[in-house]
Amino acid sequence: MARFLSLLPLLLAAGTLDAHARPADEDGFTRPLDTLRFNPGLDQREFERATFHALAVQDPFESFNRRMYHFNYRLDQWVMLPAVRGYQYVTPRFVRTGVSNFFSNLGEIPTLANSVLQLKGKRAMNATARLLFNTIIGVGGVWDPATRMGLVRQSEDFGQTLGRWGVPRGPYLVLPALGPSNLRDATGLAVDFGIERQVDYLDYAQASGGEPGITALRLVDTRYTTDFRYGQLNSPFEYEQVRYVYSRARDLQVDE
Amino acid sequence: MLQLLRLIPLLAALALPAQAADISPEDYGFPLDNPFEATIASTPLELRASVPLDDDIDQRDYSLRLRPDREFSLPDNFWPVKRLGYRLARQDGPAPLVFVISGTGAHYSAAKTESLKRLFYSAGYHVVQLSSPTSYDFMAAASRYATPGYSRDDAQDLYRVMQAVRAQQHKLPVTDFYLVGYSLGALNAAFVSELDEARQSFNFKRVLLINPPVNLYTSISNLDRLVQTQVKGVDDNTTFYEMIFEKLTRYYHRKGFIDLSDALLYDFQQSPQRLSDEQMAMLIGSVFRLSAADITFTSDLINRRGLITPPDYPINEGTSLEPFFRRAMQCNFDCYITEQLIPMWRAQYDGGSLTQLIDQVSLYALEDYLRRSSKIAVMHNADDLILGPGDIGFLRRTFGERLTLYPRGGHCGNLDYRVNARHMLEFFRG
Repeated sequence: MARFLSLLPLLLAAGTLDAHARPADEDGFTRPLDTLRFNPGLDQREFERATFHALAVQDPFESFNRRMYHFNYRLDQWVMLPAVRGYQYVTPRFVRTGVSNFFSNLGEIPTLANSVLQLKGKRAMNATARLLFNTIIGVGGVWDPATRMGLVRQSEDFGQTLGRWGVPRGPYLVLPALGPSNLRDATGLAVDFGIERQVDYLDYAQASGGEPGITALRLVDTRYTTDFRYGQLNSPFEYEQVRYVYSRARDLQVDE
Repeated sequence: MLQLLRLIPLLAALALPAQAADISPEDYGFPLDNPFEATIASTPLELRASVPLDDDIDQRDYSLRLRPDREFSLPDNFWPVKRLGYRLARQDGPAPLVFVISGTGAHYSAAKTESLKRLFYSAGYHVVQLSSPTSYDFMAAASRYATPGYSRDDAQDLYRVMQAVRAQQHKLPVTDFYLVGYSLGALNAAFVSELDEARQSFNFKRVLLINPPVNLYTSISNLDRLVQTQVKGVDDNTTFYEMIFEKLTRYYHRKGFIDLSDALLYDFQQSPQRLSDEQMAMLIGSVFRLSAADITFTSDLINRRGLITPPDYPINEGTSLEPFFRRAMQCNFDCYITEQLIPMWRAQYDGGSLTQLIDQVSLYALEDYLRRSSKIAVMHNADDLILGPGDIGFLRRTFGERLTLYPRGGHCGNLDYRVNARHMLEFFRG
């Protein structure tokens, strides 16, 4: 009897366990679909409607864009990714992180300019603080102490500034080497490049003008830090999916 | 006395031999009790098994030339998939090798395949990652009939790929072979293992099936049904995708900045914008429908069936595929089976009814083999969306104690959870 008594707490515990668990049938299966409310006729066409709608991105240069997409795909496989592999082979990780931090720190300049242009005071302050901490304590931006202090990197570019003041996306464009864009964002890219040249922070613009190796390093670093791989969506319709997600994600960045 | 009576079922259960290892939610500790959330968000970062960084893994992508005829017969824009890619992570010295088979439509670099690679690599295995036979690249570059779903054909295609990998990597010192698959890849793994008993190329030491479909037709019907849930917030002006993006916009407004970290999904589900079960089901269903569209389009084009793409339609790298996407997207898994798989099966194998097809392509076809093969084990979840009533009963009867049933995880949502990772490694170690 005493032995049975010692089982009591266990049984009581088992009772409370059941209260938490989802009800299961005799096999132990919880039948997750039974809790869902379905359309009674099972004839809803919302997936089709939403996907049709997602295809409606302004793309008058589609034929050119598709060719450029395939060009970029090959460039990536035959030049960019091998370059990244070589870079990973010859550098230890802390060097690569330092390089990424350095270029990311330079990127705070357009972020600061565009935050001001969009009248986003808080973000401009964030960019200024990051720039100062990372340049001074982080030795020219090679370390990123600002993120550890809780100042999250929040990038702003001129495409977003244009969007913020009501400029529409314009036609979708696939840029050589740079990939998905649109008329508005491609313009923004050119302006941001100009801002960086003008400011010439840490003499970077001047130095990279005379030394193509620095620009090459920046390109390799950009590829190194970009997770996207062509073919990863593994769909014959990757072009359409990238086009929609790019366009919608940019809207999100503009709205935010 | 009443308390004692309650013990009877417990004692009866103990008396039965070779019971499946069931784990209670409390012992298990996996925090997401909502199967839809688990399926989408998978394991919270801090509860995942610790694995090496990608930079610390000696890995490379390779490709195989398996179907040279397709290099001429496929349109130009198929150039990336005329050779079959795979990924190999190699150990320094001799080591056992694990083949990982990806789930429905998934590429060899899909997130779940990657996390299995990291886990097994960290435990000292060479790892080869393979795309699913239902994926765009595999269908184009490796599949004989390019009409996936007939499990024995898919297994033969996979087997040829695995042999070609072995031949291409003949210098790699391999001690033993192991096989693991998740989702549809787990069903493939079971058929590959059976094929290997006859062909003996690998003599797999252990085979692990993670969240396999039991009845393939139940699974695809469930997936097809997910896009039929009643979702709120969708009207004439707002489609389902737009609604998701609007929720994200509002969420980021509150948060103050855009953050795309892995923690996003948990945080999002704590916010007022959180998705309902129906909305999450619709999202999961939509992802699978996009896979169905890829399979429908690719299978039709390679076999020139003319259901989606007119057989002689000129396609080059600049050709818009939108009209075909629109058509293929309206075909769900059931439609693909009816319009392409069953006709192919009847033509090739003198096949009969849908019921017969289901019996031949599901785990039922291997019941005897699975029952007596002690080297094969299953991990499944009590709340997996791709199962139907009776499926777990089949697994219990067939696998006995070689079934580990987790109380939570949805469909493959607990694959990188610490406890699962430990069980996987323990099973392989034997």
